[in-house]
Amino acid sequence: MIRIENLHASVGDKKVLNGVTLEVNAGEVHAIMGPNGSGKSTLAHVLAGRPGYAITAGSVTYDGKDLLALAPEERARAGVFLGFQYPVEIPGVNNVYLLKAAVNAVRKQRGLPEVDAFDFLGLVREKMQLMQMDDSFLSRGVNEGFSGGEKKRNEILQMLVLEPRLAILDETDSGLDIDALKVVASGVNSLRGPERAFVLVTHYQRLLDYIVPDQVHVLVRGRIARSGDRTLALELEKRGYDWVSDQAA
Amino acid sequence: MSTSPEILQSRNLPTSRDENWKYANLRPLERVRFTAASQRSPGISADALPTPIEGYARYVFVDGLFAPDLSNALGQPGVTVEAIRSVTPASDTVGDMRFALLNEANAVDVARVVAAPGANCPACIEIVFVASADAQTAASYPRIELQVGPQAQLGLIERHFSVGSGANFVNGAVTLDIGAGARVDHCRVQQTGTQAIWFDTLSASLARDAGYQLYLINLGAKSARSTMHIVLRGEQAELGVHSVSVGDRQQVHDAYALVEHAAPHARSRQSFRGIAGGRSRVAFNSKVVVREGAHGTDSYQSLRGLLAGAEAEIDVRPQLEIYTDDVRCAHGATAGKLDEAMLFYLLSRGLDPETAQRLLKWAFLEDVVAKIAVPELRRQIEASLAGQMNDPTALEALAQ
Repeated sequence: MIRIENLHASVGDKKVLNGVTLEVNAGEVHAIMGPNGSGKSTLAHVLAGRPGYAITAGSVTYDGKDLLALAPEERARAGVFLGFQYPVEIPGVNNVYLLKAAVNAVRKQRGLPEVDAFDFLGLVREKMQLMQMDDSFLSRGVNEGFSGGEKKRNEILQMLVLEPRLAILDETDSGLDIDALKVVASGVNSLRGPERAFVLVTHYQRLLDYIVPDQVHVLVRGRIARSGDRTLALELEKRGYDWVSDQAA
Repeated sequence: MSTSPEILQSRNLPTSRDENWKYANLRPLERVRFTAASQRSPGISADALPTPIEGYARYVFVDGLFAPDLSNALGQPGVTVEAIRSVTPASDTVGDMRFALLNEANAVDVARVVAAPGANCPACIEIVFVASADAQTAASYPRIELQVGPQAQLGLIERHFSVGSGANFVNGAVTLDIGAGARVDHCRVQQTGTQAIWFDTLSASLARDAGYQLYLINLGAKSARSTMHIVLRGEQAELGVHSVSVGDRQQVHDAYALVEHAAPHARSRQSFRGIAGGRSRVAFNSKVVVREGAHGTDSYQSLRGLLAGAEAEIDVRPQLEIYTDDVRCAHGATAGKLDEAMLFYLLSRGLDPETAQRLLKWAFLEDVVAKIAVPELRRQIEASLAGQMNDPTALEALAQ
């Protein structure tokens, strides 16, 4: 589904990605782990098309298309979803309105009519129940006054409603207590399927107890230093990142 | 031919050389006729007026002349409204009263509103000022004199708009005397024609425990300028100034608010949200003065401007002058473009850049607009704002 080859990216003078190569197929869940500053979030943002990064080499192919040539909104409409580590608050923009606008943007792209407002609300309510969010959320501004945990749940709710083909979740587990983590994980698991792929960016193996990955990659200094199955995450937990970093050096 | 400053000086009006007038567009004053309209222009029907708000008694003035046939004067509990041909000169001449004096000298029919002590009329009076005369023919001098007795509660809506070509000269004045413990909610909507020249002076005085919430929505006119002078004279008085201004094309919207804390433990909050599109200029200049003895003053100014046009200009300037100790005064001012992180968030959800930008502009204004407590009026204002921003997206969002 997505093939990243020798991707180099920098912010200003600083090189952050130094040749990332990674392939994720439909139906797979990949976890990307790594120490602070290893380039995990940069990779997630570059894939979503955030401005401010210079791609200096490499390529990203998504469904046979050059992903890097697409504008952020085109990537979203093509089924790429980024779950933010720090979702912004947008007071004055209603949550439901954003959800509906996002769904309709995808539908418009596919030549489908806009969603029926009533049916849509029913769908959103159903997903909200899964994410254990109460009704007051509907009328609030996007992430306005939300706690850290509520913001993360809202990201997953958006993902559930948008049903992307490739979901990149950037440290969705950070700042969550164990109950919230379970809710978020069950949300993600409910969407797993043969036609969809997930890239989970995380610091801790804890998340992977609940969302079991097919592959685990360790990013060190902007390169994938080691890949393996889920046991790699367990080993990292025991031995720390230095173990991989030393090997990569 | 005389230059502009000379003409204005000869009438004792400010010029752009005055510090507090440098953002205003005074040039159109060169060509106006200052003589007040003396005859009602015919052919204005009630249909041409904004939709009335339920429960509010409506008083309509056309070019400063009372129009009883267009008014709908419901009796309101404890509140009297008269349209009279007698101006009460303002006792307060401390602030910049030059345009107010011009109004005093020329106003024809005055809307005098008196709320008796303890009157309870939270949804009360709507005063609509219609401008129809061409600026080269005659001027319009709207005037409200408001006296609110102790412990009274009053809701006032004041609207200014144009019919016809919209090339009017309007110079309004409003004076408010708010008694002890009284509460006034005052919504002002300026929606005059795109060629109108709209000047305005508001002076208010708040007694002990009085509360005054002022909403100023600036949409219309080629050149609009509001000068406000609000004095918190009594202890624990509370003031809120909530202002929104959206400029487009070559409009100039300028406002200057002087808020004086003259008594201890009074509180003032000012928020301004302005968007300048096209080649417009949108300015809000606010000055808070804390007088000697006004200890325990609590004041905050939040002035934010958004540039939405390559050749547009935003000027926000909060100022503070403090002559006593033990006060809490703060301000925040920003002028710039849309927040990049917010924009990317919306794009990452598939919204196209144009929709995302419109949505964010809307959200920016809603910060203040959402505070308007009269739902029907708020809806009308939101629809007008959406129209001014030429924004079908916003209208769609309103339908939620």
